Order: sequence, then structure tokens, then C-alpha cells
Amino acid sequence: MTTATTTSRRIHAAFAEAGVTGRLHALDIDSGAEIDAGADEAVVTASVHKLCLLVALHQQAAEGRLDLTEQIDCPPTGRTAGPTGLAAMLDPVRMSLRDTAYLMTAVSDNTAADLLLHRIGLDAVNSATAGLGLTRTRAVHTFHDMLATIRDDAGPGRARALTDPQVVARLTALDPARTNRSTPREMTRLLRAVWRDEACPAEHGAAIRRLLGLQVWPHRLASGFPFDDVHVAGKTGSLPTVRNEVGVVEYPDGGRYAVAVFTRAASTAATLPAADAVIGTTARIAVDALRAT
Amino acid sequence: MDLIRHLECFVAVAEASHFGRAATRLGIAQPQLSQRIQRLERELGVRLFERTSRQVTITKAGTLLLDEARELLTRSESLMAAARRIRDGESGLLRAALPPDLAGETVAAILEGFRQRHAGVELELHELSTAQQLTRLASHELDVGLVHHPCDITGLELGPVLRREVGVLLPRHSPAAALDTVPLAALDGHDLVLFPRSASPALYDDILTTCARDGYTPAAVRQGQGASFVRGLILSAGAVAFSPQDARSTHTAEGDPDITWRPLAGAPLNWRHSVAWPRGRGDAAVGAFAEATTRALLDAAAGGTDEPAEPARPLYLRPASEYWL
Repeated sequence: MTTATTTSRRIHAAFAEAGVTGRLHALDIDSGAEIDAGADEAVVTASVHKLCLLVALHQQAAEGRLDLTEQIDCPPTGRTAGPTGLAAMLDPVRMSLRDTAYLMTAVSDNTAADLLLHRIGLDAVNSATAGLGLTRTRAVHTFHDMLATIRDDAGPGRARALTDPQVVARLTALDPARTNRSTPREMTRLLRAVWRDEACPAEHGAAIRRLLGLQVWPHRLASGFPFDDVHVAGKTGSLPTVRNEVGVVEYPDGGRYAVAVFTRAASTAATLPAADAVIGTTARIAVDALRAT
Repeated sequence: MDLIRHLECFVAVAEASHFGRAATRLGIAQPQLSQRIQRLERELGVRLFERTSRQVTITKAGTLLLDEARELLTRSESLMAAARRIRDGESGLLRAALPPDLAGETVAAILEGFRQRHAGVELELHELSTAQQLTRLASHELDVGLVHHPCDITGLELGPVLRREVGVLLPRHSPAAALDTVPLAALDGHDLVLFPRSASPALYDDILTTCARDGYTPAAVRQGQGASFVRGLILSAGAVAFSPQDARSTHTAEGDPDITWRPLAGAPLNWRHSVAWPRGRGDAAVGAFAEATTRALLDAAAGGTDEPAEPARPLYLRPASEYWL
């Protein structure tokens, strides 16, 4: 058995142990070596798509179509729902586009994401990804509209109905054919472009990398790399039974690895620490294998 | 032009971004693949790929057509599956699976119910765990199964959710056996016999989490499922095991002097099942199996248990959940 198959088997075993189905792609940004465990499966991106939005925003800034210090108003009403950032705040806010992008990236603020999405448009996000050759990455709705499909599909039971397997089976937001989507391989390709300044000019690439490094969540990708001298930058995505993260892990010897992990949990419980942690566990298995070659 | 075959080539090249790799995947020669793409471009009147000497990239027009092409291919696959079964008619075969925890009478009732509903199709029945069923449903080696929730239902269609009341098998001399309904905490001190975790990892974890939360943390969890193995451990080691009410007869006969079955207080561990089949592949035979299984389980549970038995609990989404309804 080749080393690559052994690694892929260990990754699938770790997913099974954690009670999830997982897809992973890991890429050595400089050598192109890769680990493929379902890398070409269509997956639901959820908030991982905020990374595509962030890249599109910076491309527009680089082309001079907008100024990142431009102020944007966020009235207290009509905000996209969410548990963090502007989505959770109560009073009117005025802030720059780039600080809005910070909230969107650091705490996955849904209101911040939709403010930016309204500013540049869904088409700009899709042109940005298509322009990088990501043919299977597509945003079909805003975060507000995506959450609205869940509310509609769940019916009167709201969040509690989401523990019913039949309700989960019919959620539009969990079907990659009908919602915002990508593949693990396309997400590592996007990260590689950002890290090599191929997605945007260097100054903008650095700004995107800074924001991804400011993400606050410690429970997924970062949990697999408990080393003070290893830098982890990423963007998570979550929906009922969906737990994702894509990011880049950088070692002090210069090794840098883009990793994309997309999971679906068997359990419909909202709190599942083992399902979060396995994203870090499998990313580590993949990165260790890439570093051993 | 065979549109479906040409669309397969289009999707393969789009996914591989490379003629050579796509040709390998399709099992055809690269010049043949190039010809097919050119023919498809002529037929559709649009250019699908930009080719340079080094690489191939999909055009904007190609991107716009890709999703529809994929959908058409999926539909075509499901049409072929349905046609295969219709064409085979009398000699048709339905590959179905049931979990190992059903009573013999229930299995017999499912077989009989299926025969009455769909006498023309032969039923090939397997005893498989939920994990095994999911793998085979995904690879289309299985047409339909009965799975334990919770499980990953991506790509599946489900019949109604069926609930089975789970109680406890315990030594008759155990103090808890004197109770009409047994709280989980009263099982403290007994080891637990449970199905292997790999059979249904999420259900296994759910059961142990619920036990711990309600005051029962077994010192040892023994993995076992066969009736005589479970009986042996209960008799000799003072262990307990969980069993659905409808399958208790598998483990303990009426008036059994050694082992007894008791309901759990508050029904904290009820099992949920659904008949499941790959999305888009449900035909008449699958429907007949789903109906027969649903009917047999409802009868075994004595009068229907598909109403939620659990009291509604609060649900607190934490900030890291990223969504809010």
C-alpha cells in the first residue's frame, strides 16, 4: 500500500471515529505535493464562502473600483441574523469596508458579510472565483437568503425541527447543487493563490492573510496544531450538521500548507466538540504526511 | 450525436482541467476525447474551453452550462436504473438491508409484506449495520436499507421516521428489576453490553452521553450483539443491555427465571429509524419495501410510535455555530 493511501485511510478512519463524513484536500503551497481524501466532491461552503467574498472585495479595491476606507452604514434594522459582531449588536454603526471585512472574517459576522455582498454584488464574487479557474465554486445566494431557505425548509418547528432527520434531508442549504458550493481542491487552490499573491497584488494579499490570521475560533483547524511557533490562518463554515474550515498552516522552517476540510455530522446536535476537533486532527495527519515527503 | 456521452466528456475535462487526466478517468484515448469536445462545441454552437499548449481552462459559456450538464447526467443515471428494473421485470432483484437488532418475527413480517406488495421482484435481504448500509448505498451496491438515526443522510431519501421504545435487559435478582420503570441512574454499578461502536458511531455516542448525563456511567462497556452472548454476560457478569421493546423476545422468554426486560423511566433512549435509498433511485420496488418495513415496525411496536415521545428541550446555539434562526 502506498503512503498516500495509508494517509487517506487514516483520515477517513479519524472522520468515522468522530461520527462525521469528511472530505479533505491538503496542498504544499510551494512543492504542489498533495493529500486527497475526497478532494473533488461537491461540498456546501456555508461561511467558508466569506473567503471568496473577501478576495473579491480586495480585487475590486486593487482595480480601483472601491476604497477600503470608504465608510458604510449599518442601521439597527434589517440585519442578517447571526450570533456575532454586527449581527448581534443593537445600535447603528458606521465603519469602513475593511473593518467590516475584519468582522466578517474574524468572527464570521453574517451582517458584515451581507453589507459587503450588497456593496460588490454576488456576480463579483463569482467572477473572482471563476477568474482563478475555480469552475465548481459558486455563490447562488446571500447569507440572508441562505438562512431564509433554512427557516422555510424547517417550517414552524424552527431550530428545533432541525433535529428531525427528514427535515435535515430536505434542507436546500445542505444540498451542494442548490446552495453556495465548492470542492476541497478548489479551496486549497484559492488559498494557494492568496498566499502566492496570484489572487491579488501583494499589498492586498497581505491584508487578506492578516484577516484570516485574526480569526478567533480555536476549536477546528487550529486545534490540530498546538505549537506556539506554527501560524494558523483560516475561515470556518457551519450549518446544521455541517462543520468546515479552510486555512493555511505555516511552519517555522518555511513549510506552508493549504488545507480544506468539509464535514457532515451524523448527529443533528448543535454542540459536538469531537466533530469540530476532527477537522484539526485530519488536517494534522495530512500536513504531517506532506512534511514527511 | 450521443449527447450524454459527450456531456460526460465535457464534465470530465472541466473537473480535471486537463485533457490527459480526463481521458484516463474516462478510459478513452486523448485524441478521441478532443474530437468529442470539438463535436460537442459544434453541436452547441459555443466554445467550452480555451486551450493553450500548456493548459486548458473552461470558458464563461462552459461554466454557465456545467451545472445543467451535471444535472442531466445524474438524471440519465437514475433513468437507466429505473429502466433496468422495469426491463428485468419478473427476474428483477431488489438488494435490501436490515439492521441486526430486529426480532425474527419483524423480519418475517417485512418479507411477507414485501411479497404481497410486489410479488414480481426478488428480494435479496442482507443483515447490515447502519455504517455498512451507508457505504453500500453510496456505492449503489444496495438499493434500500433501514438505518439508525442519527447518521449522515447526504444523498439519501428517507421514509417516515419510526421510533422504537428502548428498555433494559437485566438480571432478575437486580434491585432495579423490581421497579416498573427503571431510571438510568438505577443501573449504576452494572457493566453495559452494547453493539460495536463502528456499527453506528453517532448512536453509540448518543447512548453513552445520555446514560452519563442521567447518572449511569458503566465501569466497562462490553461490545456484543448476539442474543446468547448478551445473555451470557447478563447472567454471569451482572451486566445490563438495552433492547427495543419489540425485540425483547429475542433475549428473554415469557417467565424467564434469570433475565427480565423493563421500560426505562422517561423513555430517554428511544431509537429512531428510517427506510433510506439513494436520492432519485426510488422506484416501485423500493416503495414496496419502505411500506412493508414501516408497517412491520409499527405493528411490532403495538400501534404506532411515530409521534415524538421525547419532551421538547431547550436548544442553545453557541456563537461558534455561525448561524441563527
